[in-house]
Amino acid sequence: MTYIIQTHQLTKRFSKDLITDHVSMNIKEGEIYGFLGPNGAGKTTIMKMLLNLVKPSSGDIFIQGEPINPSSYRYLKEIGSLIEYPIFYEDLTAFENLQIHCTYIGQEDDSHIVSVLDIVGLRNIERKKVKEFSLGMRQRLAIARAIVTKPKILILDEPINGLDPIGIKEVRELLVLLKRQYHMTILVSSHIISEIESIADTIGVIDNGKLIEEISMSSLRQRHQPTIKMVVSNALEAKRLLEKFVGTHAKIINETTVHVTKTNEKTAALTKRLVLQGVDVDEVVTFHETLEEYFVNRITGGKEHVAIS
Amino acid sequence: MWQLVKLEWRKHKMSRYFLSFLLCVAGIYGFVVFAAISSKHDINSVIPSYKDFFVLVTLLTNITFIILGGVILSRVVISEFRSKTINVLFTYPIRRKKLMLSKLLLVFTMTTGAIFLGTWIMQGLTYFLQPAIGLFEGTFSKQELFATLPKTITNAIMMAAIALIPLFFGMRKKSTSATITSAVLFGFLINSTISNGGATTSLSDVIVIPMIFSLIGAAIAYLSIRNIDRKDVV
Repeated sequence: MTYIIQTHQLTKRFSKDLITDHVSMNIKEGEIYGFLGPNGAGKTTIMKMLLNLVKPSSGDIFIQGEPINPSSYRYLKEIGSLIEYPIFYEDLTAFENLQIHCTYIGQEDDSHIVSVLDIVGLRNIERKKVKEFSLGMRQRLAIARAIVTKPKILILDEPINGLDPIGIKEVRELLVLLKRQYHMTILVSSHIISEIESIADTIGVIDNGKLIEEISMSSLRQRHQPTIKMVVSNALEAKRLLEKFVGTHAKIINETTVHVTKTNEKTAALTKRLVLQGVDVDEVVTFHETLEEYFVNRITGGKEHVAIS
Repeated sequence: MWQLVKLEWRKHKMSRYFLSFLLCVAGIYGFVVFAAISSKHDINSVIPSYKDFFVLVTLLTNITFIILGGVILSRVVISEFRSKTINVLFTYPIRRKKLMLSKLLLVFTMTTGAIFLGTWIMQGLTYFLQPAIGLFEGTFSKQELFATLPKTITNAIMMAAIALIPLFFGMRKKSTSATITSAVLFGFLINSTISNGGATTSLSDVIVIPMIFSLIGAAIAYLSIRNIDRKDVV
């Protein structure tokens, strides 16, 4: 699979502030790339640099293999985008806004505008002026604008902002549909991990301008096997037995609790072995570290749990 | 380029300015006619001849449409930066310079057109009304009407270039009010120069000042386009 968007040591400074710090991202063709990070981490700036709205201080960007320089503009034909707040010409109707958008992109055919509005859940409002729209409706209209010309690449900055839970679900389904049906490559940012973990193929985590992790969801899931919590009569003995006979990693939490990780053994087998060796087992619980917990740990360096939304 | 200018026209609903234009022309002409008629029998008539009549018409037209030019400028250029629709505009596969040029071209053409047409309509009206009402002493012939044409055109072009000066003030803080305020100031400043010249000063002496300012206007327009490719749109 080839990379459709690549950045190499991408750095941006605004006066003295370092906004992004040597970011090297690799986005494969046809995938959904979830771009995660707390507010102010630099996600929007990177997306703006990909669109050439903001010019990098140093580093390179390659889109479809072509290097992007400050005056590049032709490559933008293949990109649909939504950056920050959804912005429109307020005095024009939803339909006119999309019509003008199509003309600027160079697609005179506007026959499918109504059907695209329908896809994003804006029905019978195409003649309504945008200034009468709610935030949720604007967000939907902005998504419609990004996809109306069927670009190869979609760059969506927090597209679910301001949407209700049903809207969020619809957007998620829409992104998967666009990927499957039109083979679009989608770069989607969010500060709410759970919203995109279910649809992303690859996750990039950014904090303080640095890309601290870029990993495919499949290897991430493999890496994060469940943890088994066992409440036993003697934690020390349990740890010794488990490590000796099963070869797992056991961590003593307190006198009676151990956490077992990296095991392929069933909980029943582990319990049986302990009981046979004379260690009583009072409680066995299997739990998964959620991606959210994982990323919070990753971002805060495991120091403390801070809500990152 | 024509297509881009047309898109700007549609986006900003420029046809609404036709009404403003007509109202301005009616207002200016009404005022001048009123001044002419009411002072006709005074010894120190405000408007003794057709030349004075047109100095006043041109002066008021210039001021009014430089201000209207400022309003259009703030709508077509400044408000796009202010409301950040420029962020969307600059993600289109079109050179930024071309986009900016289409905007300035629209503003410039509209201001030139408004000043030229405005003056011309009022001169035409005067040609028909003078025999009936007698706005000033003497007559106003067809030859005289057409003789003013080149001057009217050059004046319109120069004033429209001057109307681009507010771009400099407006773009600094992306402020529509700064744009319009500076348009008002420049409109009055430039045209007071002309009216102070009066009949005793030769035309070339007077024209050099607006000419310098119109070159400044053109330079500001050029500079605003020149570096646009390298600018961050935050």
